[in-house]
Amino acid sequence: MNTLLSVENLSFSWPNREVLQNLNIEIKSNELVSILGVNGAGKTTLLKCVNRILKPSAGRVSLLAQDLSTMQTIDVAQRIAYVPQSVSTNFPMEVYDVVLLGRRPYISWFVRDEDREIVSESLEFLDLEDFAFRRYDRLSGGERQRVVLAKALAQKPNLYLLDEPTSDLDLKNQVVIMKKMRELVKDTDRNSSALIAIHDIDIAARFSDKILLMHDGGIMAYGTPEEVLTPENIAEVFGVEAEILNKSGSLRIMIHGALEKETR
Amino acid sequence: MLSLSALHQKQGKSQLVKMGLMSAVTVLVSIFALGQGSSSNLDMWTTTQTILRDIRAFVGLPDTLRACGYFDGVAWNAGQTCTNAEDLQSQIIWRLRLPRVLMAILGGVALATAGALMQGCLGNPLVSPLTLGVASGASLGAALAIIVGFSLTTVGSLAIAGNAFVFSLIVVFIIIQLGRYRSVSAESYILVGIAITFIAGAIVSTLTYFATDAQLSQLAHWSFGSLARPNMVVVALVATSTFTLFPTAMKWSWDLNALSMGGDDFAVSTGVDPSSIRRNILILSALLTSLIIAFTGMIGFVGLAAPHMSRILIGNDYRKLLPASAICGAFLMLVADTIGRTLFAPVVIPVGIMLAVIGGPVFMYLLLQSKGVR
Repeated sequence: MNTLLSVENLSFSWPNREVLQNLNIEIKSNELVSILGVNGAGKTTLLKCVNRILKPSAGRVSLLAQDLSTMQTIDVAQRIAYVPQSVSTNFPMEVYDVVLLGRRPYISWFVRDEDREIVSESLEFLDLEDFAFRRYDRLSGGERQRVVLAKALAQKPNLYLLDEPTSDLDLKNQVVIMKKMRELVKDTDRNSSALIAIHDIDIAARFSDKILLMHDGGIMAYGTPEEVLTPENIAEVFGVEAEILNKSGSLRIMIHGALEKETR
Repeated sequence: MLSLSALHQKQGKSQLVKMGLMSAVTVLVSIFALGQGSSSNLDMWTTTQTILRDIRAFVGLPDTLRACGYFDGVAWNAGQTCTNAEDLQSQIIWRLRLPRVLMAILGGVALATAGALMQGCLGNPLVSPLTLGVASGASLGAALAIIVGFSLTTVGSLAIAGNAFVFSLIVVFIIIQLGRYRSVSAESYILVGIAITFIAGAIVSTLTYFATDAQLSQLAHWSFGSLARPNMVVVALVATSTFTLFPTAMKWSWDLNALSMGGDDFAVSTGVDPSSIRRNILILSALLTSLIIAFTGMIGFVGLAAPHMSRILIGNDYRKLLPASAICGAFLMLVADTIGRTLFAPVVIPVGIMLAVIGGPVFMYLLLQSKGVR
């Protein structure tokens, strides 16, 4: 499989604080990669650097062997779709029109039949048909997240960047979102991958091909869930004592307690 | 059952029909407004006929009508070449009523568009064309011209309006300079606008402190907002500029949708550069505002109310919201001004006051109504 995204020596710093130090990441096509790490480890910053919302202080990000920093905003939007943790607005549109914004990178001004087709498909894929003409602000958190995901889908990107898409959601919606993401990424016609910042280790272990474990702005470990989610790594990054059970290929992570308390 | 795409198309059509109806009503109201005034023998029907006759005559026999000075706003000697009743009627219509009605429409279109643009790109429903301080700049320019007699423009009849315009352009220039900082946020624009408003207000207060009674009343009249001043030349100028600026606003409606729907990060991932588009939109709306306010004085409410009324009627999609706001603004201004000049005729109540008196309750009613549905 070919390399989709490659991040080389990426660093980012705010005027008085270094956030990312010298990251090197490679993501292949049709891969779902989860980023794990504590608050402030640099997960969101990494996503924003990849999507050029933030400008890296050093390093190179390239997608399908093309340097992103040389591309127009609109060309980046045709290749990368970013889903923030939550989208709130003072001026809510109807769901169909929100998803239609995903076609903005392709539309000159008038909406073509092809665009409507793609929007309808995206809505159907995420089971949003019944909400299509409801206003965004009248939906629940889970429905809203699916709408923003449908908008990302309509962009037909090669790379999905999701920033804690499940942290405001209930258990069922968390699983629904991750299942849909996996289905998308595994669709070989689409040739796309996903990079997802997430807090829930269990969900990450269950749905990801690879896990990127971040610690203090660097990469602690990067590999399959089995390789990365070891009791040692979890103790180091999260400061908790964990036990890993491998039940016929699916990982279960049991958290026993915070380490400080144990040592006290 | 229709497919989602078909439903969306159908909805788009019904929104277009809604806007068509709104503009039809506005046109009817403007014809009605043309027939209203102190000259009682000039009803709606006569007025329309006179306008059509004059246009036909103007196209056919330009010299005769030009001799009557219809389109010369500065000097006209009554009774020299145009003595009969028909000519007098033409004079009333072309010099008084038509510029007034057209200016109401243009003012409504420009201010409502500016308001809708600014609300969208700053993501804030409280913003109106007065927020950026453009109007305060204009008011400072007017105060300088009226009280100190200082004007950067030398044309006699345009000394006040011209100076107001130039000073509002200074504020636009400040906005442009501010926009050069990449990190400037929506809130900073609003706060700087408020700061400009305070500074300009302080200078105007100082000036009024030293002003004579006559100057004070002139300044007060300016700040009420009135449609009595513009003549056909001004109207033509404002119309040309407004209708060249409006398509640019329409062109940016997708970018506005992205920005108003999800904020900066959402906009970037939709292919929009938020800081540059925000700066461009603010400059455009500041220009639209100063263009109107320089000639009419302070008219603010329409720029806040018309966009919100349109949001309730049409929704928040800027591709439809911008034209809807423009129509709604024109309608509000026309109705307010027509009532203002007929209610206590021959006393004319300035449009700025009437807008707030009539538009305010209607606006509140619509807002509460739409919240109740939710």
